[in-house]
Amino acid sequence: MERFFQYFFDGLSLGSIYALLALGLVVVFRGTGHLNFAQGEMAMICTFVVWQFNDWGIPLVLSIILGMIVGFALGAGVEATIIRGVAKKSQAGVFVVSIALFLGLNSLAAMIWGSLPPEQLPGLFPDEPDDFQRIFGAVWRYEYIGVLAVALVLMGLLFLLFAKTKFGLAMRAVASNPESARLAGIPTGIVLASSWGIAGAMGALSGTLWGGIVGELNAGLMFTVFIYASAAATLGGFDSPGGAVIAGLTIGVGEQFLAGYFPGWIGQEMKLSAALLTIFVVLLIKPSGLFGSTKVERV
Amino acid sequence: MSLLEVRALTAGYGPVEVLHGIDLDVDEGEMVVILGANGAGKTTTMRAVSGMIGRSGVVNFGGVDITRTNAEKLVGMGIAHVPQGRGTFPDLTVIDNLRVGAYARSSDHKRDIDRWFDVFPRLAERRDQRAGSLSGGEQQMLAIARALMSHPKLLLCDEPSLGLAPLITQEVFEVLKKLNVEEGLSVLLVEQNANLALKVAQRVYLLETGTVVASGTAAQIASDDAIRKAYLGA
Amino acid sequence: MLRIDEGSLRHWLIRVLGVVVVAFIVVWVPTQMSSSRIGQFTDAFILMIAAMSLNLVLGFTGQISIGHSAFFGIGGYTAAILIKDHGWSPGYTFYAAAVVSFVVGCVVALPALRIRGIYLALVTLAVAVLFPTLVRWKKLAWLTDGSKGIDSVRYEDVPVWPILGELKGREGRAVFMFWLGLIVVVVTYLVCRGIVKSRFGRALVAIRDNETAAAVMGVNLTTTKVLVFGVSAALCALGGVLSTLKSGVITPDGQYVTLLGSIVFLLVMIVGGAGTLWGPIVGGLVYVWLDNTTRDIGTNDSGILGAVFGWADQSPATLILGLVLVVIMFAAPYGLVGLAKRLGRKIVVIVPRPVGSSTSR
Repeated sequence: MERFFQYFFDGLSLGSIYALLALGLVVVFRGTGHLNFAQGEMAMICTFVVWQFNDWGIPLVLSIILGMIVGFALGAGVEATIIRGVAKKSQAGVFVVSIALFLGLNSLAAMIWGSLPPEQLPGLFPDEPDDFQRIFGAVWRYEYIGVLAVALVLMGLLFLLFAKTKFGLAMRAVASNPESARLAGIPTGIVLASSWGIAGAMGALSGTLWGGIVGELNAGLMFTVFIYASAAATLGGFDSPGGAVIAGLTIGVGEQFLAGYFPGWIGQEMKLSAALLTIFVVLLIKPSGLFGSTKVERV
Repeated sequence: MSLLEVRALTAGYGPVEVLHGIDLDVDEGEMVVILGANGAGKTTTMRAVSGMIGRSGVVNFGGVDITRTNAEKLVGMGIAHVPQGRGTFPDLTVIDNLRVGAYARSSDHKRDIDRWFDVFPRLAERRDQRAGSLSGGEQQMLAIARALMSHPKLLLCDEPSLGLAPLITQEVFEVLKKLNVEEGLSVLLVEQNANLALKVAQRVYLLETGTVVASGTAAQIASDDAIRKAYLGA
Repeated sequence: MLRIDEGSLRHWLIRVLGVVVVAFIVVWVPTQMSSSRIGQFTDAFILMIAAMSLNLVLGFTGQISIGHSAFFGIGGYTAAILIKDHGWSPGYTFYAAAVVSFVVGCVVALPALRIRGIYLALVTLAVAVLFPTLVRWKKLAWLTDGSKGIDSVRYEDVPVWPILGELKGREGRAVFMFWLGLIVVVVTYLVCRGIVKSRFGRALVAIRDNETAAAVMGVNLTTTKVLVFGVSAALCALGGVLSTLKSGVITPDGQYVTLLGSIVFLLVMIVGGAGTLWGPIVGGLVYVWLDNTTRDIGTNDSGILGAVFGWADQSPATLILGLVLVVIMFAAPYGLVGLAKRLGRKIVVIVPRPVGSSTSR
């Protein structure tokens, strides 16, 4: 029985990181209709930035906040310049550009920090071997609890932004009907850029939390997380922030169960394939995801 | 001086020029309607006036040249545009739709919301419903209410009768007429339903393939047999 | 601006000139250049094949795919397994790989039938990431040798071909791979050209432009999409076989077998010119050239690039490629070939034969 709870807790914590990144994907998709293929790499490079600030002596929490600001600036900047410019010419072009971004950021990170020995990102939370809590017989490390708490708080803030603030209303309006939003006087350009900006900030936090857990920092840090996040966004529905969160946590818990209870067939190496198969199955059966809305396409 | 002054307005989509130099005016407190068949360029005129598409010529509002002004700034200047096909925010609730309408103006919008719920009781009943699930007529009323939330001086209304049952259309026009008469709201209307439009508007412009072919008071246009036969189906 | 009538003598002269130039290059390279240079051309050929295959699906049919690395890998692994474990002669593995990949391609196309845009991209992304993961799977290690990969995949004896005579040693092998690659490129090109210029090809473009309209006009969406994916997968597999034969080894992290491979194919196709027949060919050459030029930037000063990127310890190749891609999307969305066509039209215009004249096709 304690195995069950072990997998459950671990899954929740890891899943919350996937959920954070997935939220970034969903915010961008809902706000601008694009898939940000570079979401993981943006997160990765911001994590390096956080490490760098910390390495220069800035306290960790402040470094993380600064990193999130950098993430916001990066996302908003990219949208306002490259993405918007290409979107005017061709929608497919945006996807290609985000792939270019994926390559570019990955390469840039490797070039700037790559040759240093694998970096240690100090954990936000106490992570000595005996820093854990026993619940229902399972070990729940403080750092995992911390990760889950931080992620949940941030998701909560994001939901408040959307539901209760004027700017959140503007974002929802632009997502729902961009033309009418312009006519209603909403500064659509700022809103679009902010969607990417928010995704950048969420990514920065996601990367930092992940880096803290993994311990090692390199250019390939966020690739698998990006896959998990994509699976979560697919499962939950690309236009449903709530769906992304639920799906992210579900996938996190699910992969722990699958790897834990079927070590022969799945085990640690094949966890990722379970997420990939999720993508397949969902897209075959209900492409709009569990909580997404099917939009009728105008011919 | 007119509230809205349009001179030599030329606009199109890509390489295709649709409007070939339109002149029109809307005075304060006037309701003006643009009539014309499908493809005459009525909607293009509206979109050109509110800056949704590229245009050349001159557009003056309240004495200010807005030819180069971004569409988003117009609400702040007092122009509200209800586009063809309603233009509601389908994923937002009715009340959120109204809140969006007040976005550009930071005044107390709670009072305004209550006011428009009085004018459109059906919207009040559905305040928490998703706008996309409303009927056509309700969406049209919602779109107008949203536009009015910004306290505009000029309302641009594009084919409000489109896809609406006659009874609902009448209701909508009654509201517009009331606002025009009692509150002095200036309205520029685009319509295909000539009969109804002629009853509420003071002046008429007749548009055909991108040019104004006739203009005058509603009475003049309505009584001109030649025009009636040619454009209004007698 | 020069106007030339299609089919006229001048037109044929231009075509003949083009063929002569290409033939010259093709003969000059293997006979005059060093074996490492020849090898680079072969690398370019491999990319051309993969990019041409992707072009069928993406450039002409408008279906996003970042999963072609899986087909590439299937081709390579099929060849490696057949040669190493079953003693096949390498030449026949091309056919086997094509067939296997065709089947897989058709299967992968099934989810593509109902979804578009980013959802299709995600499915193909999943395919691309799934392939190396499956190869590494313990349960399949009996087939794929897991992470180790399969090596010593070579032609036992380089066959003796009439014109080329006997090819010995490293030099001979390089020249042989060059010619083999060239043949496969030509075959792939002809297949693509044949498809594009046929009724099937027009159906593909119709699907790209407006699926619903295409269906309404009588295009069988299911058959067409499945077939084009299958053919594309088969062609891509040829590239994989070639690559495995050239390097003698294939691993799950190998060149172009991972998602990165799919991205490179996409890049090559776009830089060269999506939706054009020569685009992938030009793209392949450009990519290999760029890759080699930027390879040693960190270590020795190589002009401008060295000045800009000299501080980095890793090669800026990928970053530059990313930048090139962005620039292309803005400046030349139809790639270098598209650009060349546009500029070329300002110099020479081929006037098509009027329909109904006695010699019209």
